[in-house]
Amino acid sequence: MKKPKIAFFDFACCEGCQLQVANMGEGVLDVLAAFDVVEWREVMSEKWDKKYDVAIIEGSITDNHAVKRIKKIRKKTDILLAYGSCATIGGVNGMKNNFELDDIRKYVYGESYKFFPTEITKAVHQVVKVDYFVNGCPVYIPEFVTVLKAVLQGIPYYVPDYAVCVECKLNENVCMYAKGITCLGPLTRAGCNSWCINNGNICYGCRGMVSNPNEKSAQDILAKYNIPIELIMNKMNMYNKCREIV
Amino acid sequence: MEEYQYVVLKKELFNDFIVRLAGIKKLIAPIAKGYNNFAYEEVRSGEQIALKYIPTILPAKKYFMPRNETLLEFSTGKKSNVEAFIEYESLTLFGLHTCDIAGIQCLNMALSERPKDYNYLARKNFITIIGLECNEYCDEFASCHLVNASFPSGGYDLLFTDAGEYFIVHINTESGEEIVNITEIFNKAESLHLNELTKIRENKRKVFSNEVPIERRHIPELFDRSFRSNVWKEIGERCLSCGNCTNVCPTCYCFDIRDELELDMKHGRRYRVWDSCQLEPFAKVAGGFNFRKERFVRQRHRYYRKFRYPVDKFSRFFCTGCGRCTRTCMANISLKETLNQLVKESEDRVWKRWL
Ligand code: SF4
Ligand code: SF4
Ligand code: SF4
Ligand code: SF4
Ligand code: SF4
Repeated sequence: MKKPKIAFFDFACCEGCQLQVANMGEGVLDVLAAFDVVEWREVMSEKWDKKYDVAIIEGSITDNHAVKRIKKIRKKTDILLAYGSCATIGGVNGMKNNFELDDIRKYVYGESYKFFPTEITKAVHQVVKVDYFVNGCPVYIPEFVTVLKAVLQGIPYYVPDYAVCVECKLNENVCMYAKGITCLGPLTRAGCNSWCINNGNICYGCRGMVSNPNEKSAQDILAKYNIPIELIMNKMNMYNKCREIV
Repeated sequence: MEEYQYVVLKKELFNDFIVRLAGIKKLIAPIAKGYNNFAYEEVRSGEQIALKYIPTILPAKKYFMPRNETLLEFSTGKKSNVEAFIEYESLTLFGLHTCDIAGIQCLNMALSERPKDYNYLARKNFITIIGLECNEYCDEFASCHLVNASFPSGGYDLLFTDAGEYFIVHINTESGEEIVNITEIFNKAESLHLNELTKIRENKRKVFSNEVPIERRHIPELFDRSFRSNVWKEIGERCLSCGNCTNVCPTCYCFDIRDELELDMKHGRRYRVWDSCQLEPFAKVAGGFNFRKERFVRQRHRYYRKFRYPVDKFSRFFCTGCGRCTRTCMANISLKETLNQLVKESEDRVWKRWL
């Protein structure tokens, strides 16, 4: 079997997710043995202008240039993989959508804002077709590897559509709610093995909401813990603002 | 009660006993995790053990059906090869309450049915169970008496009862007797000890009573009448479908089986993981149809799976009253409260018929 050609591209993001791959240690050798990396700005200077088999897209789509560029990449690749929260759900960049576009441009660029056109933030699948999703901020490497295996086999990968609580329970963590702390686990898609809670943090909802959350009940629970709903919406919006434009 | 079936362990020798027990094979017991949470974990000495504890986050089923268990390893290509696996470990579980022992009895029944679960059945033969009886309720969420799990009724090798200065220990099996012989730390039980045990049990009968106002034998009927009850709708509106209630339940055993290949695409393994009927994708089948799409249908299913269906199949409830599902539920869906509501609704209906 010929090794599939794979290329990494970054859009609006912090490139932290790519760093996760660079930090994989020995595991990265198995990936490199299975794929032929032809373009990856963060670790190599070569560029590739022919077709690739797999394009890994990091970052969200925030302006006109990006729209054109992602459409071009889509045409040149068989498989497109959205990688990290920015790409899969819009992520932190989605916070821009809380504001009027002109206001936010003035705020960021000052007087000369007119020279910096922008658009509302979109996740990659809100612009072009996406074949595989690797959620998370940053991505969870074991899940990324699982997705790569699915790519190699030509089978779909389904992001778990149930709560982080499932994994959290199996890890036998003391529930944040038992400590009187709110946690977004019950509304957030699993797949990260409850990474943050295992390490003493709450879940921030970085993997996006389950497709059918019980929002009414979630609100009641917050009321029970005397937590203002705005606080949670802000927390949830930190990663999930783009959800509203789907 | 026959004296020869009982021995006594002085409390001051407890630590020595645990150290010796841990020397025989890997020893698991409840430990404190803070915030009144407990978990079964490996221990080596008596001080690590929480003798007074409420049911652990996960029940002991995690040792009988690991949450991620390899079933097969295989290689692909011309010389493809498949090898079946049974992963097991020799263990002693110390300190199981009677509700948790009942949970294992349920699993034993369900997984001995044909087609038998050989992995489970093989593994269970390597696990020794030492129970620890509750003399009072763990907390207000328990409903162990209702389902006949508050008093010991087999399923263990040894059973410890706390009698203040000492433990009275019931020897129930040969492996239990072996432990008594190897550790050489127990004394013979005298009639005074057995009298004490009788007293403890009498007192227990005063402490424990049906936690829901219904007689055990009427529960199946109650469920027969309640399939269309509004109680389910109301629970469904509150449920977040987080799956916590089933993952922590000692009698839930549903699983999913998956295959995964290595990146080299030459080797792989088939494994199983716990699954939950409360999760939205659980009942989704080919074509995208979901036969338990609504939350209330999933919650109702959970309750019938505890209180109605197993009665026909196994002549027992598949609820041990441990209260874990209630403790873990952020939406405050309480098993006792649900049963109470069903009883009340059903009584109201009877009254209406009379009026
Ligand atoms: S800590 Fe968070 S993720 Fe874990 S069970 Fe509690 S709510 Fe769910
Ligand atoms: S626990 Fe929550 S915030 Fe942390 S990685 Fe998982 S989904 Fe993201
Ligand atoms: S623990 Fe509560 S909220 Fe979660 S699935 Fe069970 S009943 Fe629903
Ligand atoms: S249904 Fe609830 S109370 Fe009954 S055995 Fe399961 S977790 Fe325990
Ligand atoms: S539910 Fe009953 S048997 Fe189980 S720990 Fe509580 S009091 Fe003990």
